[in-house]
Amino acid sequence: MTPSSEAVGRPGPPRADLAATLVARDQLSPDAQLLRFESEAPLRVLPGQFTMVRVGGGGLLRRPYSYCDVLDDGAFTLLVKEVGVGTRALMSLAVGGEVSSLGPLGTTFDLPPPDLTPVIVAGGVGIAPFVLFCRRLAENGRRGIVLLGGRRRPDLYLWDTFERFGMDVRVASEDGSAGHHGFVTALLDAALADAGRPVLYSCGPTGMLLRVAELATAAGVPHQVSIERRMGCGMGCCLGCVVWARPPSGGPAEYLRSCTEGPVFDAETIAWDRDPHPL
Amino acid sequence: MAEEKPGTVDMGVDIAGLRLPTPLIAASGTFGYGDEYREVADYDCIGAISVKGLYLEPREGCPPPRIWETPSGMLNAIGLQEVGIRRFLAEKLPAVRALGKIVIANICGSSLEEYGELSKILDQAEGVSAIEVNISCPNVAEGGIEFGCDPDMAARATEVVRRGTRLPVIPKLSPSASDMAAMARRVAEAGADAVSLINTIPAMAVDVETRRPRLANVVGGLSGPAVRPIAVRMVWEVAQGSRLPVIGMGGIANADDALEFVLVGAAAVQIGTMNFVDPGVWRRTYDGLAAYCRRHEVAALRNLTGAMRPGTAG
Repeated sequence: MTPSSEAVGRPGPPRADLAATLVARDQLSPDAQLLRFESEAPLRVLPGQFTMVRVGGGGLLRRPYSYCDVLDDGAFTLLVKEVGVGTRALMSLAVGGEVSSLGPLGTTFDLPPPDLTPVIVAGGVGIAPFVLFCRRLAENGRRGIVLLGGRRRPDLYLWDTFERFGMDVRVASEDGSAGHHGFVTALLDAALADAGRPVLYSCGPTGMLLRVAELATAAGVPHQVSIERRMGCGMGCCLGCVVWARPPSGGPAEYLRSCTEGPVFDAETIAWDRDPHPL
Repeated sequence: MAEEKPGTVDMGVDIAGLRLPTPLIAASGTFGYGDEYREVADYDCIGAISVKGLYLEPREGCPPPRIWETPSGMLNAIGLQEVGIRRFLAEKLPAVRALGKIVIANICGSSLEEYGELSKILDQAEGVSAIEVNISCPNVAEGGIEFGCDPDMAARATEVVRRGTRLPVIPKLSPSASDMAAMARRVAEAGADAVSLINTIPAMAVDVETRRPRLANVVGGLSGPAVRPIAVRMVWEVAQGSRLPVIGMGGIANADDALEFVLVGAAAVQIGTMNFVDPGVWRRTYDGLAAYCRRHEVAALRNLTGAMRPGTAG
């Protein structure tokens, strides 16, 4: 079977290819930056959506980045960790420099119904989409639990931002330099118990997502997951970014586009064992 | 319509019995089923859309990873994931027809019978103006050899499509053929109205750290500006060596790129990979072509087809 062409019942805000100027850079760790851009026009972005960014010297194709935070005046931030030529070009762009930003693209994290407590699990730069998400929660007077994992303390990006939004932040590091010594998923059982009636949201490395999905299924907890895949276009045309999953409209699993039917999926629809090395 | 004072330069082209308002065609496999880019590309600049390749039945495609960036290009091995001809006609075609664009159906076959069946179905379909025949498909009966590698097989595929339809038939030539002009002559004899070229170039890349191929399919197709000089050469050879009208493509990113193809003999061009990079490519290329014509006092863009001069640029 094949991709459903429509963005499955979740029509997003209008998209455009806009110039955006880099106005500030915050070096969060030796290899990660929070970049603040001002877009030539205001943006309407929903939590979980992403932009395809083109930057001089950054390779031929655009690169996908989750919107981290979006403000009403057209300012937005991206959390960028160095992985290759595209991220390197963005991280070395001078303040005042311009990029082309095509967005907003893709599906969104649904804000939880009032009787459920959101529990967010994020690894490394997978925390990015949850800044806007928690901003929206806070604006609605909602609280949630944020589980943040990384290799070392400096990889626990934007910890303080989530505390400012009033979230209950719990951290884990693989080297034990902050919080729980080990994987962030070890914090999940306690968080689900504390939440009472939880709903899960996750984004990060595939191994982490798989473990969260297993625990969510075992506990019968609804779970939305943002999947990161290499993308060519972000517009649903190159079919490079596919994930084997059941379409939201029902029917058997097929290759769905993480740019169009995703990046946010209901975790239970994904066949995690189908493509072990998807990137 | 175009800001470029329409009427001052005639941008229309006639090819294979089609009258296109602009010489720019969206290349199959890069523009979905036609309406995906409606919010961000300037459709006024698009002369026709060649939709994602269609088989009779839906196909799930190759496992990921399916794409890899290379210097000035990209590799892909999508495996022709598509919805099948019937779902295309029922669910996809109405949306692209609503945009008022000329639609070229791109068809793929695992057998001669499949090509024939597809052409008959499309012949009866309302809203399809031409058939582009992807002959870079494995022929199952011949052990998976591409139709497009062998002039006899390419001619037979063209012939069976020709018999099934009154629509213009445009084989899309594979750069794997050893003699592109000979291939064009063979498909012309078999009833082709034009040819389009080039399809992607078979290529691969390896991750040296893991010592694994970058694509799950190991081999993919190279496209983008990296292939353009090869494509220009092949269009030139076909234009020199056959009488068929030629639609040229290969990494076109702007008007100068498109003009190279036109000057060596293309009557129209397709834009493919650069859609992914910059949906503004349509407006920029269209405006650039019109500006070039005015600057060189050319009344109609079609007058430039094959207008390369002898000697060198110096």
